[in-house]
Amino acid sequence: MRSTRPLAAAATGVAALALLLAGCATAPSGAPTSHGASQVKVTLTNDGSDDRCTLEPATAQAGPVTFTVENKSSTAITEVELQSQQRILGEKENLAPGLAASSFTVTLGGGSYQFYCPGATQETQKFTVTGKATAGPAGSTATLLKQGTDGYADYVSGVVADMVTAVGTLQQRIDAGDLDGAKSAYALARPFYEKVESDVDGFVLPGTDPTDNSGNLDYLIDMRASNLDPAVGWHGFHAIERDLYTTGITDGTKTLAAELVANVGKLSTLSKGLTYKPEDLANGAADLLDEVQANKITGEEEDYSHIDILDFAGNVEGAQQAFAFLRPGLQKIDPSLTRQVAAQFDKVNAALDAYRDPSQPGGYQLYTDTIKTQDAPKLSQVVQGLQGPLSKIAEKVATAS
Amino acid sequence: MTKPRDDATAGLSRRALLLGAAGGGLVVGAAGGVGGAAAVGAVQSASGESIDLARSYPFYGQRHQPGIQTQPQRYTVFMTFDMVSDTRQDLQVLLARWSGAIAQLMQGRTIGSVQPDRTDAVAADTGEALDLAPAGLTVTVGLGPGVFDRRFGLAGKRPRRLAPLPGLPSDQLDPALTGGDLSVQACADDPQVAYHAIRDLARMAQPTAATRWTVLGFGRASAGPGQKTPRNLMGFKDGTRNIQSEAEYDRFVWVDDDAAWTRGGSYQVVRKIRMNIENWDADAIGDQQHVFGRRKAEGEPLSGHGEFDTPDFHATKGGAPVIAPTSHIALAAHENNGGVKILRRGYNYTDGLNQFGLLDAGLLFVAYMNDPAHFIGLQTKLGRADLLNEYIAHIGSGVFFVPPAPKQGSYLAERLF
Repeated sequence: MRSTRPLAAAATGVAALALLLAGCATAPSGAPTSHGASQVKVTLTNDGSDDRCTLEPATAQAGPVTFTVENKSSTAITEVELQSQQRILGEKENLAPGLAASSFTVTLGGGSYQFYCPGATQETQKFTVTGKATAGPAGSTATLLKQGTDGYADYVSGVVADMVTAVGTLQQRIDAGDLDGAKSAYALARPFYEKVESDVDGFVLPGTDPTDNSGNLDYLIDMRASNLDPAVGWHGFHAIERDLYTTGITDGTKTLAAELVANVGKLSTLSKGLTYKPEDLANGAADLLDEVQANKITGEEEDYSHIDILDFAGNVEGAQQAFAFLRPGLQKIDPSLTRQVAAQFDKVNAALDAYRDPSQPGGYQLYTDTIKTQDAPKLSQVVQGLQGPLSKIAEKVATAS
Repeated sequence: MTKPRDDATAGLSRRALLLGAAGGGLVVGAAGGVGGAAAVGAVQSASGESIDLARSYPFYGQRHQPGIQTQPQRYTVFMTFDMVSDTRQDLQVLLARWSGAIAQLMQGRTIGSVQPDRTDAVAADTGEALDLAPAGLTVTVGLGPGVFDRRFGLAGKRPRRLAPLPGLPSDQLDPALTGGDLSVQACADDPQVAYHAIRDLARMAQPTAATRWTVLGFGRASAGPGQKTPRNLMGFKDGTRNIQSEAEYDRFVWVDDDAAWTRGGSYQVVRKIRMNIENWDADAIGDQQHVFGRRKAEGEPLSGHGEFDTPDFHATKGGAPVIAPTSHIALAAHENNGGVKILRRGYNYTDGLNQFGLLDAGLLFVAYMNDPAHFIGLQTKLGRADLLNEYIAHIGSGVFFVPPAPKQGSYLAERLF
């Protein structure tokens, strides 16, 4: 006696219905329809040597098409995708043997598509749609993603403009010899860089050798003590941080602040007119979370000021913005991944909320040794939980090139 | 139980030799008498045992999960996980995905593409076992008591004897090395194969489950049927009186009196036991043998002559017992515990040096039984009085129910859902 399996009760219903209809409706031009959608049954099997991915039938009429996928016995195939010229239009993952059938629906115009079953003996097969090439949601996914990348470009511009203002304020406080004010301004300026770091950390000043750090804007703005190039010396945020929390403001600090303002100005100029592909947003978001794991949770980023949790929040905000701009398009391609990533962002944000402290500039507690010792493993785990699903977005939204 | 000699190709033997070198003195015997096997002969052990890296075990369709009765492989990676998700469906999908992946891994296959066609894709398999043989990999999955708490609506299906272990005498458990909702034991004759399995299963678990604690084990510290008795890091043979016969497995290891889905399963008790290596090494041989109740080289009981002589716990010499009543073997012997036996399948481990510069090493005790009360009873006695307690500390612990193996087309514990 097998108990009920809530996993895909609805999907099983769809499959059963599809079979029923398949039995009575003979559609000469392709898959039988149900609920206004053509029904295609996809079965994954292993016959002892070959892993097979079988489409029944391999054609459908233009319009909505529902693919109901069941893995009967293939351990090698765990996902299937419907593609059009390498662009993923819809897919199903977690297809382990024994789980109930599950389905996805896409609206397709007439033409030839690829049904991709990685791990199968024959991985790619043709899926043919007859009828008009409609301007359906297959096209609108691309439109939604384009709107997303445009919106994200505006977001980056806004953050960079705020950064210009914030480092200007930092310079004013330093020039005025206002140590407390400068510390506060430092904390307020940092998150802007952390939010968009993955988009702006690749700039090399025109005319300089890419291996020469004196022309590397990320080096000049954000280098930490641990990775200094002795030939170029220490510049940027963290050199200022060191002064503010050790020697106090010196003439050297003022020079560093003026340099920082100049370099952020150059950054602002270079970042104007940047355009992004959908996968750039996804990869950038993943990079920001790598930053969290590598430098924030370890407490290496803000060795003197200990505002690592604030930077952490900045990285997460930047990553979440990238995701938010991709979300409408991603939702069409892979609703379950979209849901999963959104849920994991919620968990990370909930973890961060525990450290909110309105009395601190920037609004987060300092990352003390006590907090680090007690909480670093927990924070690392919750970020790992987001990194896994987030790393899968890029290939889903990648533009065929 | 080695494979026939004609399976030992030169290539395999070469790898066996490399493995021996990597293992730091691991003894590898020649199964074949030709070609590369001659080179292996240079490190042939007195035991004549050999490793066949081409060996693979089936996952589906067996009565029990692999890695319990399976002849112990040379290496293990053991890891436990906490469920992060509290939905039953996520647990179900994880067990199903793990099952499919384990079936692939145990055949020496990847769990997906190492090098996807799309440059923006993240590889499904991490790749470090791509050119390696199956190496006898077994993966054994256990369900901790937490799976049957309120989160997943499975409280009514809890295996009858599954509960967190009670506090036991001499416990020095570190919470960071204790517990877990799921356990995964990967054993193989190539440590990289075992690590790859754990790594990729841990990756697959994200974000449903998070890693909790792990131990890397080597130099199996228990003998399977037909194997020579290996040694723990105290230098003594471990497992001389281990469970051997099918009848003993049926009597002491396999569950057969609980709900249908549990039958053919077993309880897994895991303890990370730290040894005070330097103190032990400074202990005189006479005292070491007194502590164990056996002699070191051959492993015979102090009352006997051969390793497999039955210890005589009543023998006396000059009025004193020959085997001290508080020696390790006297306290653990089934004769002194109402006939109870447990299957031990442990490994040695090292974590390098501790903060004081001392060798940080010990025993990853893994045991299988059809009632955790058997372990609890034994360890209650040992924890109170064992002479060995001066040299060891139980620092990690976990108890899990290992369901029976799935059929082809099914997955672990399917009938729970």
